[in-house]
Amino acid sequence: MGYLKETGLGESFQPFSVFREYFGFVPNLFLAQTLLPRVIAAESALATAILFERRCLPQVLKERMLLALAAACGSTYSVGLGSQMLNLLGASDSKAELSSRDALLAAFTVKLATRSSSMSREDIERTAAGGWTNESLLEAVLLAGLGNFLCTLSVGLGAEPDFAAPPHLGTATSLDIGSPERESFGPYLYAKEMPSDFAPFSFLRDNFGFVPNLFQIQALCPAAVVAEVEAMRLILLTDDVLKRKQKERILLAVSGSNQNTYCVAVYAEILTLSGVSAEESYKIAADHWQAGLSELDNVLLDFAVKLSARPEEFSLEDVESLRRQGLSDEQILEAVAVTALTQFLNTVQQGIGAVPDFAPRHSFHLDTGNKANLSYPDSRPNQRDEPPDPDAELVRKAQAGDLHAFEVLVERHSKRIYRTLVGLLGSPEEARDGMQDTFLKAFQHLAGFQGRSKFSTWLLTIANNAGLQRLRERRPMESLDDDGPEGEEGFRPRQVRAWTDDPEQLCAQAEVRSLVENCLKKLPSKYRVVVLLRDFEQLSAEDAAEALGLQVPALKSRLLRGRLMLREALAPYFAKSPTGVGA
Amino acid sequence: MITCADFMAELGNYLDEGVADEVRMQLENHLAHCQTCQVIVDSTRKTVRIVTDSGCFDLPEAVLKPITAEIMAKIRGKQG
Repeated sequence: MGYLKETGLGESFQPFSVFREYFGFVPNLFLAQTLLPRVIAAESALATAILFERRCLPQVLKERMLLALAAACGSTYSVGLGSQMLNLLGASDSKAELSSRDALLAAFTVKLATRSSSMSREDIERTAAGGWTNESLLEAVLLAGLGNFLCTLSVGLGAEPDFAAPPHLGTATSLDIGSPERESFGPYLYAKEMPSDFAPFSFLRDNFGFVPNLFQIQALCPAAVVAEVEAMRLILLTDDVLKRKQKERILLAVSGSNQNTYCVAVYAEILTLSGVSAEESYKIAADHWQAGLSELDNVLLDFAVKLSARPEEFSLEDVESLRRQGLSDEQILEAVAVTALTQFLNTVQQGIGAVPDFAPRHSFHLDTGNKANLSYPDSRPNQRDEPPDPDAELVRKAQAGDLHAFEVLVERHSKRIYRTLVGLLGSPEEARDGMQDTFLKAFQHLAGFQGRSKFSTWLLTIANNAGLQRLRERRPMESLDDDGPEGEEGFRPRQVRAWTDDPEQLCAQAEVRSLVENCLKKLPSKYRVVVLLRDFEQLSAEDAAEALGLQVPALKSRLLRGRLMLREALAPYFAKSPTGVGA
Repeated sequence: MITCADFMAELGNYLDEGVADEVRMQLENHLAHCQTCQVIVDSTRKTVRIVTDSGCFDLPEAVLKPITAEIMAKIRGKQG
């Protein structure tokens, strides 16, 4: 018996049949989770896609890699199981049996699983130099994620070993690449394009508003993406045991503790759909005790962070601390599963080097206590006393099912949403489609809008995500920030002739409008959208930054650059000619 | 005495009136002597004004109405 209660699921429970087929029995790790069959189903799907099914890597090598990883993580349970599996496959569990090429891949997997934040492109390149293909490397990354997932589960559940770990495998492995730690930008692997109707991507678009790069890069292994999205659906996006909000906080806190800027940034952005401000999300990731949560929520996050960051200290007492808060065994099991899933996602992201879908609003640093932390401001600079949201009453009615109220909101905000999308996409036709996406998505998530930001800002955030998604589909795998350096650096005004006093009077209003539109279309989208939100829509820097997922200084920097570029484009029309008359 | 590069670094905040009084005085001292920066400030202000007043990317009601109707029809369809 592990830490939690168990129950019988019957011989016909399909995931157990899958485990029996591979292992020859149902490991205790899964028997310890019978309180929540859907969680076992999710794990079965992940294990099938990543471990059980044959892809590029031989089965024996995969098991050896998992064993090395389990030993490095100090997971007695996984070492015992892995060693037994190798025996079943007729292979030795000795590291000496690995060829140098296999050892290179195993070392890569171990480093990824144990020191993922120090992974760099160099690690991938060094391993690839051993003759491993992109597909094999992706499989190794997924295995590292799965290994971490299983180790976290076994520690959190206190799963009783199915087999004793052989004495020679009881300590951490010495396998290590030992590359210097350095900053490196991904993605490290190339991706192939998936059809737009690929079901997991449609699911992610429907639920998150976009397909995070993390999943797009894994398109080389569609079965893994299917299983991961299914695992997220079954473990994270449910609301019947732990509340979805509690689980999302676990994801943020564990990712923060792992210093995984990518997962924090993406999930903070996703949570804005529910009206949770990015600032609140970052506080949870940085130090949940400072985020104003209830004691129960704080203890729950302590539990998850300890399980992921200090598994060697984890014990039954941690489980009891949650029971004392009134949590049921089902809820504790789900907390363990969400922590394990976060470990999986963090590990895979570090392995493939998925680039941020959104500029992270805050970066990670180690404080003097050597504790992983995020830095965040206590409050936004220049934060004002917010007037009441003028849309609040209509939103309340729409949330209560009044479609007419929602229609009024659509009419009230459609022009601004359209203009924002033109700003991002540069195309009026695409902007109209994006506008539909935005309002349909807003309606779908309206019940979750909690009014922590203004409705108009929330709507703009959805529009921004919808626009970014369309841009990504247009130019997959390119960073949206590839338009060169920001700010005034690297951009020097060349047109320095004085302008006429009343440039607008030089031509008719319609001509000015057409001229401005044409010049704006020539700007890179990241500048265009900022100029439109600030100078046309008159949004404050803080609101525009929140809607676009930027920090205020970054927004100001883009605004200046955009204004100067636009000035440059308009100058030939409005500058005085050398004779003193408008050109 | 600040340089043109210093001035450009503060231009965004200066245009949005987001600089401290002391910095603003330094910037305006520079402006009083630098015609190039004067032109850039003046023309960038005019650029902002032109964009603000341009009515750019406006959706005429005649175009907007059918789009709004389509959105609401899809929502009602999903509800039904």
